[in-house]
Amino acid sequence: MTKFLEVKNLSVSFPTEDGLVKASNDVSYSVDLGKTLAIVGESGSGKSVSNLAIMGLHNRATTQISGSAFLNLDEGPIDVITAPEETVRRLRGKVMSMIFQDPMSALHPYFSVGNQIAEAWSLYNEGSKRDGMKRAAEMLDLVGIPSAADRVKDYPHQFSGGMRQRVMIAMALVNNPKLLIADEPTTALDVTVQSQILKLIQEIQKEFNMAVILITHDLGVVAEVADNVCVMYGGKIVETSAIDEIFYRSQHPYTTALLDSIPRVDKFGSHRLKAISGQPPSLIGLPKGCSFAPRCQFVSHVAGSRCTTEDPELTEKAKDHFARCFLSTEQIHTLTGRSVTA
Amino acid sequence: MLKYVTRRLLYTVILLLIVSFTIFYIFDLIPVDPARLICSKQCTPALVEANRHRLGLDVSVLEQWWRFLQGLVQGRNYGEGGIKDIYCGAPSFGYSFNRHECVSTVIADVFPTTLSLTIGAFVMWLSVGVSLGVLAARKKGKFADRASNAFVLIGTSLPTFITGILVVLFIVLKFHLVNPLELGDWKNPITDPIGWLRTFFFPCATLALAYAATYTRFTRSNVLEISSEDYIRTARAKGLSEKVILRKHTLRAALAPIVTIAGLDFAGLLGGAIITEGIFGLSGLGKLSLTAVLQTYDLPIIVATTLVGSAFVVIMNLIVDIAYAYLDPRVRAE
Amino acid sequence: MSAMNLTTRRWISVVATTALAVSLAMVSGASTASAAEVKGGTLNFYTHNEQVAALDPTNMYTGRDIALYGTYIYRQLTSYKMVPGSAGTELTGDLATNTGVPSNKAKTWTFTLRPGITWEDGSAVTCADLKYGMSRSFATDVFNDGPGYARSWLDIPVLEDGSSAYAGPYKKTGQELYDKAVTCSKDNRTITYKLSRSVPDFNYFASYPAAGPVKASKDTGDKYDLRPMATGPYKVKSYKINDKLVMVRNSKWKKSSDPLRKALPDSISIKFGMNEDVRDETDMTDQIPNGINMDGLQSTNTPTYFADPTKAKQRLNIVDSFVTYLSANNSAGHLDCLLVRKAVFFAYDNQSLIDLAGGLKYYGEMGDNIVKPNLGMDYIATKGNIHDPNFKIGGNPEYAKTLLAQAKTACPDAYDRATNPAKGLKYYRPDTADNKKSAVIVEAALTKAGIVIETVYKPSGSYNANLTEYKSQTDFLASGWAPDWANASTVIPEMWGDGCCNYTKNEDTPEYAPFSAKIKKALVELDRKKQAKLWHELSQYGMDQYWYIRTVFSKDQLTWGSKIGGFQEWKIMSTPIYNDLYIKK
Repeated sequence: MTKFLEVKNLSVSFPTEDGLVKASNDVSYSVDLGKTLAIVGESGSGKSVSNLAIMGLHNRATTQISGSAFLNLDEGPIDVITAPEETVRRLRGKVMSMIFQDPMSALHPYFSVGNQIAEAWSLYNEGSKRDGMKRAAEMLDLVGIPSAADRVKDYPHQFSGGMRQRVMIAMALVNNPKLLIADEPTTALDVTVQSQILKLIQEIQKEFNMAVILITHDLGVVAEVADNVCVMYGGKIVETSAIDEIFYRSQHPYTTALLDSIPRVDKFGSHRLKAISGQPPSLIGLPKGCSFAPRCQFVSHVAGSRCTTEDPELTEKAKDHFARCFLSTEQIHTLTGRSVTA
Repeated sequence: MLKYVTRRLLYTVILLLIVSFTIFYIFDLIPVDPARLICSKQCTPALVEANRHRLGLDVSVLEQWWRFLQGLVQGRNYGEGGIKDIYCGAPSFGYSFNRHECVSTVIADVFPTTLSLTIGAFVMWLSVGVSLGVLAARKKGKFADRASNAFVLIGTSLPTFITGILVVLFIVLKFHLVNPLELGDWKNPITDPIGWLRTFFFPCATLALAYAATYTRFTRSNVLEISSEDYIRTARAKGLSEKVILRKHTLRAALAPIVTIAGLDFAGLLGGAIITEGIFGLSGLGKLSLTAVLQTYDLPIIVATTLVGSAFVVIMNLIVDIAYAYLDPRVRAE
Repeated sequence: MSAMNLTTRRWISVVATTALAVSLAMVSGASTASAAEVKGGTLNFYTHNEQVAALDPTNMYTGRDIALYGTYIYRQLTSYKMVPGSAGTELTGDLATNTGVPSNKAKTWTFTLRPGITWEDGSAVTCADLKYGMSRSFATDVFNDGPGYARSWLDIPVLEDGSSAYAGPYKKTGQELYDKAVTCSKDNRTITYKLSRSVPDFNYFASYPAAGPVKASKDTGDKYDLRPMATGPYKVKSYKINDKLVMVRNSKWKKSSDPLRKALPDSISIKFGMNEDVRDETDMTDQIPNGINMDGLQSTNTPTYFADPTKAKQRLNIVDSFVTYLSANNSAGHLDCLLVRKAVFFAYDNQSLIDLAGGLKYYGEMGDNIVKPNLGMDYIATKGNIHDPNFKIGGNPEYAKTLLAQAKTACPDAYDRATNPAKGLKYYRPDTADNKKSAVIVEAALTKAGIVIETVYKPSGSYNANLTEYKSQTDFLASGWAPDWANASTVIPEMWGDGCCNYTKNEDTPEYAPFSAKIKKALVELDRKKQAKLWHELSQYGMDQYWYIRTVFSKDQLTWGSKIGGFQEWKIMSTPIYNDLYIKK
C-alpha cells in the first residue's frame, strides 16, 4: 500500500569547515492522508532537517541530500528530493505546507497578517488583492481568530503567541495542502494554548483530510494527536511504531528515558522525573557503535562492548514496531519496568 | 501620531533655542573682537565703540539673544545703513555687514546649492550602496562580492578632502570636463538639468563615495542577516520565488534600518558638504559658514548657519522617526 | 605674506623713483601703445577670496583692488601713470585736469574736473559728487573700513574721543563744518579742500576711490558696495559674493574724456571662491588661457611654475611694497640696551627663517631700511646693520657674544635679563604651526650666542586685537607694513613715530624726543627733496638704534594665462598694469 508521503533512506548533511555534519542519516518514514506522524527527538536530533528537505527548503548548493521522498499525487508520484527546484517550489504552499516553531519570528514583522496570507493565496489563485484579503479573513476565521475581518489588517506583533500560530496555520492552509509539516508548533506557547493549537490542527486535518507531520520534542504532545511516532536520535530513527506501542511497549532505552521525563499525573508522589544525563552526540564524525551508547544506562547489559563498536540496525521488534537496540524486548522491559502487557 | 509630531516639534523648538543661546554665549567668550576686525588701519577707540554698537555687540549676551529671537519672529531693524535704515523682515536671522545683505537672504541664496549637493549625494550613495550591497550579498564569496569589498575598502579609507582634490585635479581638470571658472556655477535642475549635472555630478560623487562604501557593507551584512531570518524561510515555504523573496521580503526588512541611518547621515551631510563645497567652489551653506568663521568672522552668518544646520539635524531626526514608524509597524504602535 | 598682521589686508604700494627715472617719466607721460594690442574678448580673473574686500569706494583700502577697480570702473581725481617702470610712480590728473594745486603751504588743495566726464547713467560727474563722495568717509556709523585721511586732514574739528565733529551725509551733524572745508566753484567743476595742517601729499590721497565721486541721488548707503556706479570704461553688470563679479563696457564712458584708460577687453570677470589647489592647477596647466590667478600660487607650487621653460613668458618675480619686521621692545626692563639689541640682531639666523618661508628667491631678502627701495627718493641704503662687516645672514654668534660682553659692563641689568637662564627674553607669537617651526630656528640661533629666549604662544585668533597690550609685555613683536603711497610719510611716522603701528615702545627712550620732532618737521616740509633728505636721516637714525631686529623686503610672484597680452608690472601697485591687459587673438 502506498502512502501519501513516502520517505526512503533520506540523508541530509552539511559540509562545514569542521567536517561533514550528518544531520539526518538514512531516515525512512511515511504518512498517509488523514493521518498524523509525530517525529520526536531532542534539538539536533535531525527531526527538522529531513522535513525541510522534503519541503525543498535547504540550499541545494550547500547541502548534500540523498534518498527519496515521494509525494503520491493524483497526477502521479513525484520525488521532491530529485525534482527540479522550480517544480518543488510550485508544490510548496499548495500541496505541502509547513508551520514553524516560533510564530513571532516566522511571520514577517513588516506586513499585515492578511497581506501575508493573501500573498500565499494569490500565488496559486487568480484574484484581486481584495479577494486575497477576503480569503485571508475567511482563513483567520477558520483558525478561530475572533473578529477576523477586522484583524486581517493587523500586524503580527499585535497578536498573542497562540493567535500568531493560528495565523501561521491559516497561512499554511490557505491553499488546502495535502501535507502539513508542523515543526514544533506549540513549543513557544503557553501550555493552555498548546492544546488549543493541537486541537485546531486536528480539526482542520479532519476537515481537509490532510497528512500531518508533527515534529516535536514533547512526547506528551504526541500522545494527544499522533497515529504513528518516529523517535530520532543523533540524526537517525531509533524507534518507530504506532502511538500505543511506543507509550506502552517502547523498545529503545532512549524512548523510555524520554517517557520518564514526562510529568505524569497518574504516578503522583512516587514518581520522580528523570533527566537524561549527558549531551546529545555531535553530528560531525559520529562515534562507532550506537550513538546513544554514551548516555545509555543499559550498555552493560549487552554482551561484550557491542554497543560501542557496532551500530544496531533498525529491526522489527514487534509488528510494525522497529527499534535500533541490541537488547531484546524482554530485556528492555525488565530493565525499564515497563510491562509488555501494561 | 499628530500628537507625537506636535510634541516632537515643540522639543525641536526648545532645543534650537538652547542651541542659539549657546552659540551667542560661545562667541561672546571667544576673545576675538569683531568690532576691531572691521576697523580700518586708522582705528580709534571711538570707531571700535561705534562698530560694536552697529554690530549689536554693545549689550549683554542675553540681550543680544533676545533681540535675535525678536528678529526671528517679527523682523528687525539693524540700525543706520546710510540712506535708509537696514531692515530685515521676519524671519530675520540678522544682517551681515560684511555681505551687505539680510542673513535670511544669504541663506536662501545658498540653500539650493547645498540641497542639490546633499540630495544628489544622498541619491547616489543610496542607489550605489544598496545595489552593490545586495549584489554582494547575493553573490557572497564570488567575484562581485570581492569587487564590492574592494570598493568598500577604498571608499572608506579615502577622506573626502583627498577624494575631492583627486577628482578635480585628475579627472575634471585633466580631461577638461568642466571649465574651472564654471566649476561651482549654480544651475537650476529643472530648467537646465544638463548644466546642473555638470556642476553637481562630481561634487555629489565625491561626497557620496565614502557613504556609498559604508552603505554597501551595511546593506550586504543586513541582507545576509535578514536572509537567515525565520520569516524568509516562511516566505520560501509559501512557495514564493527567490526574486519575490528578495525584493519584497528581504529588502523590506533589510532597508528599514538603512533608511533610518541614511536619514541621519543625510542630516550630517551638511558638515561633510563644507569640504566638498570648498573644493568644488560651490557657494553653499558649508562654504558660507567656513568663510564666516575663518575669513570674515561674520557672526550673524555663523549663528544662522549653525542654527540651520542644527534645525536640519533635529528635523531630519523627526522625519526619520516618522519614516521608521511608517516602515516598521512594530514601532508605530508604541 | 598672509601670516603677518592686520594691516596687510589693505595697503597700497609705491615704487622706486631714482632721479634718472623721474626725468624719464617726464618724457614718457602717456601710455605706450603696444603694436600687438587688440580689443575684445573676456578677461578672466580668479581668486580664492570670497568677495571684493570692499567694492564701495569709501571702504576700499586694498592696493590691488584700488589698482584694479580704479582702472576699470572708478576714476579718481588723480592716478598713478599706467605705465611700466619708474614712470608708473608718477601721479597724473584723471578726473582732474592736473595733479592738484596746493596753496597756503599746502593747507588748501584745488582740483578742476575735465569736461565731458559722465556716470554710467549718462549724467555729468560734478564737484558736488566729489564733495559727497568724500563726505561718506565721515559716516563712521556706516563706513569704517576705509582710509581715515579725510577725517584727520580736513579742517573740521576733532572731538575729544577722536571722532570728527562732522557725522557724514546721512546724519548731517556738523554738515556746515564740512560745507566750509570742502567747497565747489559756481560752475560745479572746481573743488577746493581746506586742511587743518600742511599736507604736501594730499594729491596722493586723491588717487584713492575714497576721495572719488559718489552721486548722492544714487547712493544706497551700506548696500552701495553691491552695486556701485561707474565712471570708468566698465560698469558692474552683476556681482554675487562667493560667485562672480562681471564688468561690461560702460557705454557712457568717453575715451575723449580719459587720457589714461585703453579699455581693451569687452568684459572682465572675476571668479571668487576657488579652492586653492584647483586655482593653482588651473594656473599651472593653463586651463584658462585668458585668465589670471589673482592670488599668486601657493609657495609649494611657485618653484615648479618658475622652473617650467614653457611658462617663461607668463611670469614675473617682483619685489612688492611689503616690509616685514621684528620690533624690539625698547622700553625699560626690556631691550633697553643698544648693545643687547645689536647682539640679538647679529645672532639672528635670517637665512633659515627666509628659507623656511620660501627662500630668498621667492619670499624676500634682507632689508637695510624700513622704507623700501620701491618708495623711490625716500629710500637710502643705510649704513651699519646688514652692511656691517660682522653681519652674516645665517647669524654671527661669535660677534653677538662680543657685544654681550660689552653689555655686561655697559648695561648689566639688560645683560642679565638676556643671559640669565632664570630670566630670559620673551617673544609673544600667535599660536600657529608656522610660528612653531620658526620659533625653533630663532631659539637655536640665540642660544648659540648665549641669549636666553622663551617663546610665549598666544591664541592666534585674538592676537592682533591684543597687540597693544602685548607690545609692552613682550620683548619682540613681528609685524608687517606697506605704505599707502609714494612718500615715507606713510611709513616712518606709522612705524617709529606716533602712528598706528609703532610696536617698538621707543617713545619710552631718550632717543625718541628729537626723532619725533624731526618727523613733525618732515611731514609738513613742502620741498619734496628736503623732505626726502629728512626721511633719509630719520631712517638712518632708527636703524642705528636697532629699534627693529630684522627687516625683510618681501617679494611676490605674478603669473598669467597664455592668451593674456600686455602683462607688465605696475611697480607702484605691485600688480599688473591692468590698463594694458588684452586678450590675444
